[in-house]
Amino acid sequence: MSWIVRMIVVLPALAALAGLLARRQRLLAAGIAIGMSAYVTVLAFIQWVAPARTADIESIGRLSTGALQVPLHLLSDRLSGLVALAVAVVVLAIQVFTAWYLRDDPRYGQFAATVSLFATGMLLLVQASDLVLILVGWEIMGWCSWLLIGHDSQRPDARRAAYKAFIVTRVADIGMVVGIVALAVRARSTDLIAVLTASGHDTALTVGLVGVVIGVAGKSGLVPFHDWLPDAMEGPTPASALIHAATMVAAGSYVIARLFSLYAGHDGVRTLLAVLASATMVYAALLAFAQTDLKRMLAYSTLSQIAIMLAALAAAPRDVGAAPAMSHLVGHAFFKALLFLAAGWLSVLGGATALAALRGRLHGRGALRWSMGLGLAALAGVPPLIGFFTKDTVIDAALEGATSGGGARAWIVVVALFVTVVLTAAYCARAWLLLDTPLAVTEPLTITDPTATGALPLTEPVAEEDVAVVTTTDSADDAEVERVHAHGHAPITLAAALSVAVLAALTVFGTLLLTSLRGAIHVGLLSALLSVLLVVGSAYAVWTLSDRGRHDVAARVPSRLRDAAVRGFGVDTAYLGVGRAVTAVARLVVALDRDVVDAYPRATVVAARGLGRVGERSHRGVPSLSLLALLAGVVVIAVLGVTAWR
Amino acid sequence: MTTRDIVFAATGAITALSALLSVTTRHVVHSALWLLVSLGSLAGCYLVLGQELVGLVQLLVYVGAVVVLVLFALMLTRAPIGPHAEIATPAWERAVGAVLGAATTGLLAALLLPLFAGVTVDLDGGAPGGTPAIAQAVFGTWVWPFELLSVLLLVALIGAFAVSRLVLRREEDSTAVPGEVRR
Amino acid sequence: MIHLQLPAALAALLAGIGVYGVLARRNAVLVLIGVELILNAANLLLVTAGSRPGAPFSAGPVLTLFVITIAAAEICVALAVVLVLFRVTGAVDLTAVPDLTDEPDAEGELDADAQPSSPHAPEPELRGQVSS
Repeated sequence: MSWIVRMIVVLPALAALAGLLARRQRLLAAGIAIGMSAYVTVLAFIQWVAPARTADIESIGRLSTGALQVPLHLLSDRLSGLVALAVAVVVLAIQVFTAWYLRDDPRYGQFAATVSLFATGMLLLVQASDLVLILVGWEIMGWCSWLLIGHDSQRPDARRAAYKAFIVTRVADIGMVVGIVALAVRARSTDLIAVLTASGHDTALTVGLVGVVIGVAGKSGLVPFHDWLPDAMEGPTPASALIHAATMVAAGSYVIARLFSLYAGHDGVRTLLAVLASATMVYAALLAFAQTDLKRMLAYSTLSQIAIMLAALAAAPRDVGAAPAMSHLVGHAFFKALLFLAAGWLSVLGGATALAALRGRLHGRGALRWSMGLGLAALAGVPPLIGFFTKDTVIDAALEGATSGGGARAWIVVVALFVTVVLTAAYCARAWLLLDTPLAVTEPLTITDPTATGALPLTEPVAEEDVAVVTTTDSADDAEVERVHAHGHAPITLAAALSVAVLAALTVFGTLLLTSLRGAIHVGLLSALLSVLLVVGSAYAVWTLSDRGRHDVAARVPSRLRDAAVRGFGVDTAYLGVGRAVTAVARLVVALDRDVVDAYPRATVVAARGLGRVGERSHRGVPSLSLLALLAGVVVIAVLGVTAWR
Repeated sequence: MTTRDIVFAATGAITALSALLSVTTRHVVHSALWLLVSLGSLAGCYLVLGQELVGLVQLLVYVGAVVVLVLFALMLTRAPIGPHAEIATPAWERAVGAVLGAATTGLLAALLLPLFAGVTVDLDGGAPGGTPAIAQAVFGTWVWPFELLSVLLLVALIGAFAVSRLVLRREEDSTAVPGEVRR
Repeated sequence: MIHLQLPAALAALLAGIGVYGVLARRNAVLVLIGVELILNAANLLLVTAGSRPGAPFSAGPVLTLFVITIAAAEICVALAVVLVLFRVTGAVDLTAVPDLTDEPDAEGELDADAQPSSPHAPEPELRGQVSS
């Protein structure tokens, strides 16, 4: 059934092209996008049920490149089937939801086509058995993420966020490319099987593995490449759901999972990965707690969860493999997509994405409330939702890695995991309390704005007709508010609500899907018990500290610290600093080239002109002198000629 | 030293001396007149050498036409009458000129005298060439250069005419704007 | 019976005097006199060589005739230019420093075919002593 594998990659690309051509006809574009993603989902389902279990599927044929083999194969096995199915389902849900969410947006057609293209990239990466194809998928996703984040290209904030995302990930991609090249050179082939089975060259292997880790750190937002992700919330919510839940940020984990047997033998690189992942996990969870905007909170939460996946890859022992990380990838895809889409739905109702504006809006909304609740519960790790199973599989694998000789690397991961469990539960509880507690019960939310004069009570709900883009409460470079695509937005269509519901169902029952992958669900009893206790304890603490939801518990954080946390502790400025340093070096090089190297040719010009002027001035054009010179010259030549002849 | 030698020496001396006077005199018109004498005696030299045609053509063209042209030119450029102190270039240029002249003479003499050492031509019995032979050569071997020379003369005529017409036209167009002649 | 060293010596002498004459005079016409002397030195040499026994094609006298013709043509054009110079600037002093400032082109240009045989086109606005 290898044609299914090819179709899964080719069809979204065709949909993207067709969608681009049909972008002005909204209905046609929506039809193409949704229809194609539905068909791809069906194909992915078939492929998941019956994978071909081969890594030899030809795509466009071998590239003839001399000594280096570039076979460009695709593969199909249980893992790729599962991940491809998850991606296809999420893409379908997003396409359906977008048809409602962007119904007033004139550029909906481009958006849908870009989402299709993005799906192509991710599905290509998932099914690639060749490093070149992985890189191609990687790059397609990078480009599409720029397009999607900057979808509201009229807004400078959106454009800036798009460029920031692109440039930061691009810088990290240097590592990716170097890594891939090193691995390919070492194996003399870009085929995945060859790379995994090749032996020898420690330096090339280390360079390769470290390079890939750097590349993954960029796209998955590990410290220090993390700051692009919260700013990427400028994109429309479906784009955030796509990029930051299921696909791009998780693609890195998938790549490392595919290369796991190489990583398992290399302790040093895994330690690096463990350190970065652990740091990101805890840091992002802390920052998520302090956020004032729902989408930014979800963004930091994504950072934390991706770090969990990568930590699983760093800590798991060789025999456990990459399955825990992959199961968390699938689980996270479902519940994070659910959370983002629900947040989008909520933001349409509330007119903004700031938590201040959404206070208590969930109360009394049936399906939305349940969806949001399930999503937050899954994120926190409440059994029997998928989030609990996957996170505890990760914890179990880390513990196993720690006890079977993983050393400091695995213990760091274990500690970080438990801390993150606590923090995740805390911010999930906070979010739920903020969104669900009815406004009549709450005290006014103090808005931490240095320029505001005192607290601004927002007791009356923002009317649905108000535009109310709440930007002034947070500082200028926060990118928490996308332009709300709803001024008097129509109520949610059945299809869009269904897509959210499907994701919610998958969050509840998705564990069954995961059992198809060996080793994806493996929960240790004690560790599970411990994590459940931590979750309950943390949630209870938040509940009490916020006085049953009346206050915002994060208001207890000192306001200067909170402001800095909301802004990301100035990492943006650090990025700018790096950029300025690079530009300064570039200017230096240009100046050197122009003034040092180019000076020589230009000096000849100057010298020639100078000589010309000297000659011009010395030759005054007096005829008698010229005659003299002429005759003198003639005589000299005559003498020379005569003496030479003799 | 034969008779011819002595005669030639005498004519040659006149040529050389008058040439020298021509280039050193301080009278402008005298310079042209000494040139006339010089060229005339040079014609005499040719006669002594047995080249009558050349000598006579020399008299006709050089003495008769060229020197007359020079005199006319001097007249038209308002050559001063009487000794004119500023006829000569600055002293250093003259010094260099003398050096160069001496060098030229020395060079040529050093080449030619050994070349012609002991060469004698017997012109008394039967001139070697003579005018008929020259005529044969001119219209035989040298007919192409001869014709081209007539073209050259025509071109020179037209050229001189054009150059003077250029100035005339410009003087007609502009009202005495000095100094804008462009080639 | 004539020894040909004498005419050769005379030719050398005339050439030297002619060179001196070119360099020692200010007046353009007098410079041309020097040039004529040089030409005549050449002519004499040609005649001398041509009267050697065995000179082919009567080259000596014939070429002398040609040189005389060419000299006539040359001095014709040269004097035309000198006269133009005199007419434009009022002097024919070759030691004058010409004014080399660039002047804008006057109306139209008439291309003259005949190039003057003197080495320099006289510049307008000759400064220096006005002399003949």
